[in-house]
Amino acid sequence: MIECKHLTHYYGKRLIYEDLSFTVPQGRILGLLGKNGTGKTTTINLLSGFLKPHSGECRIFGQDVQQMEPALRRNIGLLIEGHVQYTFMDIRQIERFYARFYPNWKSKIYYELMDLLQVAPKQRISRMSCGQRSQVALGLLMAQDPELLILDDFSLGLDPGYRRLFIDYLRDFVKSKGKTVFLTSHIIQDMERLIDDCIIMDYGHILLQKPVSYLLENYYQYNFTLSQPCRLDIPEFYHPNILHNRVETGGFLPPEAAEGILQAHGVDYSDFSARHVPLEDIFIGLTGKY
Amino acid sequence: MNAFFYKEWLKNRWFYLLSAAFSLLLCLYVTLNLHRLCNLRGAAHFWEAALTKDAIFIQLLHYMPLLLGIAAALVQFIPEMLQKRIKLTLHLPCNYFYSIGSMLLFGLCMLCCIFLLNLSALGIALRSIFAPEIVSRILLTALPWYLSGLTAYVLCAWICLEPNWKRRVLNGIVSACVLRIFFMSDTPEAYNRFLPILAVYTLLICALPFISVERFKTGKD
Repeated sequence: MIECKHLTHYYGKRLIYEDLSFTVPQGRILGLLGKNGTGKTTTINLLSGFLKPHSGECRIFGQDVQQMEPALRRNIGLLIEGHVQYTFMDIRQIERFYARFYPNWKSKIYYELMDLLQVAPKQRISRMSCGQRSQVALGLLMAQDPELLILDDFSLGLDPGYRRLFIDYLRDFVKSKGKTVFLTSHIIQDMERLIDDCIIMDYGHILLQKPVSYLLENYYQYNFTLSQPCRLDIPEFYHPNILHNRVETGGFLPPEAAEGILQAHGVDYSDFSARHVPLEDIFIGLTGKY
Repeated sequence: MNAFFYKEWLKNRWFYLLSAAFSLLLCLYVTLNLHRLCNLRGAAHFWEAALTKDAIFIQLLHYMPLLLGIAAALVQFIPEMLQKRIKLTLHLPCNYFYSIGSMLLFGLCMLCCIFLLNLSALGIALRSIFAPEIVSRILLTALPWYLSGLTAYVLCAWICLEPNWKRRVLNGIVSACVLRIFFMSDTPEAYNRFLPILAVYTLLICALPFISVERFKTGKD
């Protein structure tokens, strides 16, 4: 559905990423995770055709996004960071406006969602809360009924209730209709409930692309105490964090194998424990706190 | 196109209604003032001034169309850029020549309506004082001012849609030079033979905002 090959992009002389390649298979929900400044929004802009990469190409439905036929965009739903919409319209006006562009427009699904919001029919979107605006944006995306949804930081500005509402509606819509989704969010707990696969980005490159279930089942957080201070330069252990000789690190080795590695490196340790952790801890473990 | 006109009307209707009211009130003020002076000094004095001293009596309206054109573009395009709504418009399943072209056409149509209303009101009010030849002389003198309003609208849209600040400044300088052409002479009917060329010139300038949009689409920031 989405295929990006050898993407390299700079802002001025600053390299954002180099030789980035990834694919998003049909029917999957893929989340792009990364710290601030790793290029998540840049990737969304490249995919939605608002940015031309320095080199490489992005293809959606087999077409280069820069040369994409306008009609093909009917099948791509785009949510811009901050749930940007035509805020001078009310919920009926905006529905009437968009309906003219999409032959398969499903106004029923939109109005069903709008009925749940406590808004007056003539209330302008600019006078709605951020949560209500997110529901309007989601309703419009669902009514458009696209094959692919690209969502940039959908949780921005939403309280936990609206985040949960957004995710539940989106997941139900996407899974019941076999849609493909590419999304970013800075709140990783949300991702765990929503996405099938994730790409974790570090500065300049992709750290890994795996199904979330694989990460949850195979990543361990290791904790142990060092008998005496030492450096832990072991490639299998990601970003060891040492505080008062207590080490917190992580990796994909089963606990016995991790202990074997420590012993092989001659590390004098005690109180070793290993446990599975939520996606947010996996993300921090893999990318580091700084 | 109807959809874009609908959207632009919802967004800008109050601006255009207020602009129409303001410009008509200004035309009314100019002509009522002229009527008052005619009653005081006699119409013959003003006929003489029109024929021998190149007086056109509506100098107050000189820069009004220009300012309206600039304001229309600012009101229409600055929120699109600041609130990133331009991305929504460009993501719609139609060519950007069509979407942005419709937005520009809406603005030009609305300004044309206001300007035609102004010229009609002036024509009717002046006709009660002057002979048709003098009225036509005054209106032909004012025509480049109104054409400058349309050109200013397009040039200002070009500046607003440009994604890069340095280029915006450069576009602003070019625009100021282009608009200077409309105000080179104060002599009545000085532009008469040049008017068709000015009209073509305005039409050609309509291509400029699309250059900015193309730059926006490729992320020239």
